[in-house]
Amino acid sequence: MKHLPKHLRPRWRYLAVELETWPDATIRRGSFQRELWYAAQNLYGDAGSADADLTVLGFDFEDSVAETIVRARRGSVEEARAALACIDTVGDHPVGVRVRGVSGTVRACSERYLHRRAGISEERDVVFETESRTAVVRNSLLDVSGPDGFTGATQLDFE
Amino acid sequence: MYEAVYAHPDGESTASRVAIAAERYGYDGVVVRGMDARPDFDRLRDELDVDLVDAVEIDAPDPEHASGSVGNYRPQRELLILRGGTNALNRFAVEQPRVDVLARPMAGNGNFNHVLAKAARDNGVRVEFDLSPVLRTEGGSRVQALSNLRKLRELVEYYDVPYVVSGGPRSHLELRAPRELAALGDVVGFDREQILDGLREWDRLTERNRGRTSESFIAPGVKRGRYEEDD
Repeated sequence: MKHLPKHLRPRWRYLAVELETWPDATIRRGSFQRELWYAAQNLYGDAGSADADLTVLGFDFEDSVAETIVRARRGSVEEARAALACIDTVGDHPVGVRVRGVSGTVRACSERYLHRRAGISEERDVVFETESRTAVVRNSLLDVSGPDGFTGATQLDFE
Repeated sequence: MYEAVYAHPDGESTASRVAIAAERYGYDGVVVRGMDARPDFDRLRDELDVDLVDAVEIDAPDPEHASGSVGNYRPQRELLILRGGTNALNRFAVEQPRVDVLARPMAGNGNFNHVLAKAARDNGVRVEFDLSPVLRTEGGSRVQALSNLRKLRELVEYYDVPYVVSGGPRSHLELRAPRELAALGDVVGFDREQILDGLREWDRLTERNRGRTSESFIAPGVKRGRYEEDD
């Protein structure tokens, strides 16, 4: 269909969103999009969810951190923030969600807020609570694996 | 703005990890709701750019046990949080000026009414709006939590009860930024400013308690030191 004249097209805002998870998890665009829709629908129903029209555009996952762009209708940015705050897991993996910033174009959004990779991660053996454990180290942050999942720690806990 | 968090071994991340995450999320500090957690606060404050508050969260089965713990912990810790959740405990907490915060009064079988609201206001006990079920549950239990929050909010607004807001994160992943919490609060019936004010209340409480435990403090309004300059 012929596209709309410019003044009739919807206006968008683009949110730069950072997701963080434990090292054993992989997050994909599709599952994040699904969680986002569910979160919005659970929070303000079908009508509000359709109004905000939340769509995941870019998605880049590496080393347990994902950088992504979420598109929302202009005027629904706060609703988008609220829905994002309610995402606590993506496909059974717990995630931390942070909005880095909001822009009016995809290009401004990615130039300003994305591509800030935290260093490269490596595995190391550490002594945590008098036990030898494996930890995934990224900068000064460590995710220590244990019998019931990971424990978040920092270099300061091992000095 | 401060957020009140659970740290390892009460939560899944150590105090330092949550504090570093909190700094990135835009908080000035974290209140460590210690049940078993007791990190080395002095060292962490030196090493990190965010403040850490040495708080205790008392989780007692009944007022008798709670009373003993309040007496024990009050002189040791900077902030004393009592976990409500039954009518007896809620009642006990709001009648104790020694308690700083009544945490999640509506959890479990707990309830709140005008009598408790007035007592909380008169004794300066902060009532906590616990956003964790809104953030991390869905369906029926979330609906229940939302209607409880609404009831609590109406009482707090009517009687002008002091309050704090927290998302009660148990790891650095469950932390959410102040703006996100404010946006969520807006959707579920709070005022944006109300939520942010509830987060700021943690700093005010901490500052007040630190002033009170400092050596120059004698009584409210009375302290040792130089005369204050008149402007």
